[in-house]
Amino acid sequence: MPISKKVILIGHFGVGKTSLIRRFVHQKFSDEYLTTIGVKIDKKVLDLDGLEMTMIIWDIAGETNQNKVPKSYQLGAHGVLYVFDISRPSTYENLHEQLDYLKGLLPLAPIEVIANKKDLLSEEEQAKVLDSIMHPSIHTSSAKTGENVEEIFQSLGKAMLG
Amino acid sequence: MKEGLGFDQLRKILLEQDREERHELARKLHDLDDQLNSRERLETKVDPILKDQETRFQDNFPKLFGPQITETIKTQIKDSQDEVVEALYPIIGRMIKKYITSEIQKLNERVDHQMELAFSWEGWKIRIKAWISGTPQKDLVMSQLIEPKIEEIFVIEKDSGLLMGSFSRQASVDQDMVAGMLTAIKAFVEDAFTSDAQQLESIDYENFKVVLKSFKSFYIAVVTSGGMSSAFQDKLDDLLIDFADRVLKKAREEEDPEKEISGSLEEFFNDFDNADK
Repeated sequence: MPISKKVILIGHFGVGKTSLIRRFVHQKFSDEYLTTIGVKIDKKVLDLDGLEMTMIIWDIAGETNQNKVPKSYQLGAHGVLYVFDISRPSTYENLHEQLDYLKGLLPLAPIEVIANKKDLLSEEEQAKVLDSIMHPSIHTSSAKTGENVEEIFQSLGKAMLG
Repeated sequence: MKEGLGFDQLRKILLEQDREERHELARKLHDLDDQLNSRERLETKVDPILKDQETRFQDNFPKLFGPQITETIKTQIKDSQDEVVEALYPIIGRMIKKYITSEIQKLNERVDHQMELAFSWEGWKIRIKAWISGTPQKDLVMSQLIEPKIEEIFVIEKDSGLLMGSFSRQASVDQDMVAGMLTAIKAFVEDAFTSDAQQLESIDYENFKVVLKSFKSFYIAVVTSGGMSSAFQDKLDDLLIDFADRVLKKAREEEDPEKEISGSLEEFFNDFDNADK
C-alpha cells in the first residue's frame, strides 16, 4: 500500500524552491523567475527501496522570516526542505533562528537544509560559505544542472519513514 | 623611320594589356548597366534577398512588434469602448439571446411538467414534504427543476491536506493535488479573513458549489451541481455527519483506510442520489 506524505519547501524568496520542485517533478529548469504567490501543490511518487511513497509537495511562497508564513501551510507537514541560495548571504544569515522556529512548530518532522545554486560558486567558495554557517548537515544542490536534487528528496523520503 | 616603327611596336606591347582590361571593364560595366536596367535580370538577383528578408521579418514580427501592437490595441479599445461594444454587441448579444432562449425553453418544459404534477400524488408528496421539513414549497419545486447532484467527494486530512478517500462521477484532475489545493485555499481564507476560529463552508463557481464540512482532524469536500436548496443542504449535512460517524472511525482501523473510505463513499452517495428520486 503506497503511503502519502506532505513535504513543505520553505526559505527566502528567489532561492530556487520552485525550480527544485520543477527539476524534481518535471525534470525541467527555466532561468525565468516567477515569484510564487501563496502556495503551489505538486506531487511525485518515489520508490524508496521498493516502498512506494507519494510526496505531496507544498511550494510555499518565499519569506525572509518563516513566522510570516501562514501556520496552516506548515502544519501537518511530515518533512521539511529549508532552501537557501549559497550565493546570497542574506538568505542564510538567519538560518539557525529559522530552523529553531520550524523545529518548535513541527517537532516530529525531519528537516533537510539545502544550499541551492551551487553552480554559481566554485568548490572553494562553497566550502567557505558552508564553514561559516556551522550546521552539521547541509546538502548542496543545483536546480539548474539537476545535481543532487533527486538525492535530496530521496534522503528526506527515507528520513520521513523514521 | 626604323626608330618610329620600333616605338610603335613598343607602345603596342605596353598598352595591349591595358586595352584588354579596358575592354573587359567596359563589358562588365555594360553588363552591370543591363542588369540594373533589365527588370528580369534585376529580379533574379534581388528576389532571393527580398524573400530572405521577408521570411526573417515574418519570423521576428511577433518579437519586434508584438508589444507595440498589443499596446496599440489596448489603447484603441480603451479609447473607443463604445465602438468596440457596438462591434461586439451583435455577436455576443446573439449568443446570449440564443443561450437564454434555450434555457427558458428548458425551464418552460420543466414548469409544464411540474404543473402537470401539481394535483398528482407527486404534488401532494411535495406539499407534505414541505410541511414536514419546514422548507418552502417553492424551494422544493425549484430544487426539482434544477436538480442538485453530487459530482465528487473528497475526505481530506485537515492539517496535511492528504487525501483519505474520494468518490468521483467522472475522471477529474489528480485527486491528491485537488485535496492539497482545497486545503491550501481553506487555510488561506481562514488565516486571512477570519479573526477567530471560523471555517470556510463553501466555495461557489458558476454552476458548481463545493460544500466543506469540517470535523476535528479531517474535513469533507462535496462538489455539487444544480440548484442547492436548503433541504438538500440539510440532508447532505446529516449524511456527512452520519458518514463520518459510521465509516471514518471504522476505516481508520483497516489496513488500507483509503480503499475502505472510497468504497464506502460510493455506496453512501449512490444511496443518497437514489433516495432523492
